[in-house]
Amino acid sequence: MPNSKQANDVATYAAAVRSALASLPDAERASLLEDLENHLAEVAGESDLSLQERLGKPEDYAAELRSAYNSGSNTPNMKQRWPFRERSWALVKAAFGTQVYSEVRALLPELLPGWWVLRAYLIVLVFAFIFRGDSNLRPIPNPFSSGGLLQILATLVAIFISVRLGRRGMPVNRGWRGAVVAVNVGIALLALPVFVSMGTGGTYAYSYTDTSDPYFSAVSAGYYPGLTNIYPYSKDGKALKDVLLYDQDGRPLIASTGEVVTNVPTGGDGLPIPNAYPLDQRDSKGLPVLPPRVALPPWQTSAPAASPMATPSP
Amino acid sequence: MQQTDGYPIDTSQLLKGVLDLAVLAVLAEQDSYGYDVLRRLRDSGLDGVGDASVYGTLRRLYQAGSLKSYVVPSDEGPHRKYYGLNDRGRSALDQSTKTWGSFTRALDHLLNGRSSTNAK
Repeated sequence: MPNSKQANDVATYAAAVRSALASLPDAERASLLEDLENHLAEVAGESDLSLQERLGKPEDYAAELRSAYNSGSNTPNMKQRWPFRERSWALVKAAFGTQVYSEVRALLPELLPGWWVLRAYLIVLVFAFIFRGDSNLRPIPNPFSSGGLLQILATLVAIFISVRLGRRGMPVNRGWRGAVVAVNVGIALLALPVFVSMGTGGTYAYSYTDTSDPYFSAVSAGYYPGLTNIYPYSKDGKALKDVLLYDQDGRPLIASTGEVVTNVPTGGDGLPIPNAYPLDQRDSKGLPVLPPRVALPPWQTSAPAASPMATPSP
Repeated sequence: MQQTDGYPIDTSQLLKGVLDLAVLAVLAEQDSYGYDVLRRLRDSGLDGVGDASVYGTLRRLYQAGSLKSYVVPSDEGPHRKYYGLNDRGRSALDQSTKTWGSFTRALDHLLNGRSSTNAK
């Protein structure tokens, strides 16, 4: 006959087993545990040892119980009952649980102000793309062109507004919150095609025939990256001056003006001639940029002043 | 007990596969309650079997319709839930006995073949 101490032991142990199996579906749980107390009382009545000493931890007992109840051919296997959707959701949850995700997640608030500035720049860029009809848009507009200054000013105003909006934080209302996220994603997506067109139009992918003024389109077209000047020589090794260069499509060849200041000559109509080589350039200290030493072909006879053949550049 | 190649037979794994059959066999002998089933299994040599495994197996076989169940009042303790085979349980036992027989014959054959090869 189990004494009151044993009855207590049984009740405590059974309760722990029941709570360990709390995740089971109700019907299954009720059916499995229907006779648990009586059964445990039977076990307890056999000996003076406590149930924990005889059966192990209640959690382990519950796990064994569950495994025995779920195994065998009479009930479908738990794994097979696990549908694809739950499995993929578990995968997503596992990905969110990784340390990399939590580190990136922790970094996001710090990146937020950067995005406020970037989105202002992007939205002005998108508007410039639409309204200026300018297929050869540059990352930073030319401040001396008609729309360029306006675009820069508009970007500054947009940054001011965007940062103020950003600092106010997200709205409390769920619907508005969703709308804010949607607008931000929209800006990012809209900017993508603009960037793509920028990439292809970066150097000189524009049509020279589109405009009556080839020099205008060449200047606004951008530049040949890395190329800052060209030093033409005649076949007999004489340095040439004011040579006008054009590419295969007849477009003026424009060098990039990186850190040097170029003094562009003007034509008879007062318009600049940017492709007259070699360019007259000065460095950031105002000193003239000297022509490089060049190796000339062996048949040249008279050495040019700037590039003596005796000391060819390596 | 000798263990070879770090790949010993895990008795508890073996038991998992045949516990249904063992429980059915015990109940075919005589109707009995959970703790008694456990005791009889252990008495017959299956001493690695766990209480929770037996209880869980009984509940599952009952739920699957292979067992009948009735409560017997007990003077010395709580009411006892007795389990016994019904028709379905008996046919399950017959079926499983045949499967077990052909399985052990195949394995015996394998093991005997190996030991005779080794002897050569």
